[in-house]
Amino acid sequence: MNSKNKLSIYIVEDNEVFKLALKADIEATFKDRCDLKIKSFSTGEACMEKFKLENPQVVILDYHLDTKNPDAADGIKVLDWIKEVNPDTNVIMLTGDDNMDIALKSFHHHASDYVVKTETKFQKINYSLLNLIKNIEAKAETTIYKNMLVGVAVCAALLIGAGIAVLIIKPTLFL
Amino acid sequence: MIQNTIGNKMQNVCDLSYLIEIVAGKKHLIKGIMDSFLIQIPEELNCINDAIIKINYATIKSYSHTMKSSVSIMGISMLVPILKEMEDLGKAAVNIERIKVLNMELNSICKQAMEEIEKVINNYI
Repeated sequence: MNSKNKLSIYIVEDNEVFKLALKADIEATFKDRCDLKIKSFSTGEACMEKFKLENPQVVILDYHLDTKNPDAADGIKVLDWIKEVNPDTNVIMLTGDDNMDIALKSFHHHASDYVVKTETKFQKINYSLLNLIKNIEAKAETTIYKNMLVGVAVCAALLIGAGIAVLIIKPTLFL
Repeated sequence: MIQNTIGNKMQNVCDLSYLIEIVAGKKHLIKGIMDSFLIQIPEELNCINDAIIKINYATIKSYSHTMKSSVSIMGISMLVPILKEMEDLGKAAVNIERIKVLNMELNSICKQAMEEIEKVINNYI
């Protein structure tokens, strides 16, 4: 597998300081492994506007997006929307609440992972991202091998078909 | 009582080593984050101060929760328990007087943090 695969990540977080730090940390951690394209958004609405066009592989999504604007969509609503548009998108839910109910709710709504913003939050996010990257790479490899197998099977079928056709048309050819 | 003095000397409230580590020492990123902090914190403090005047516990809870992330990036560890307590009291919708006391400490420590950052920010141009 090439060491510089493309990876598109969205960060959806209404805390500007945290968002900038997270983006910088991910870039520093994964720059040698992936050709990263990271976009960040302060609201779920801004994310959803670009999502369909760019279809990122990973979305890091804050649970509480409605602090500054109570009318803004919260993390679960955005998660549901993303999963409806593209169920294969990997979503890492972020929250400051160490709350089992929120964790269960996130997984119930098909988040790939859930990270609490403790002191080790960046390590946990990077660990989660690394697992997702490995999964994406493994799926890409599987697709390549599957396509190769299909190609070989089609070629074999064509050869066998051609052989049978020749036998039918000119049965004495191989005698 | 502000717990950031030792004797007559003010100790620093910010520990920028964490920030420097996560951005791999890149000066322009450090400055960008510091600039955002200097804009964001006064806005958040105004919202909390306003919420306390109006006794709006939901807003107190929300902004205390949000500020925990911001202050942790700047290594202002002494604010974490203060914000946690404010958040819990806001969630329970009780004890506005205690929230006011905590808010005074919050404002004081944030003010010192911003002064510290303003002193060093030009080192990261």
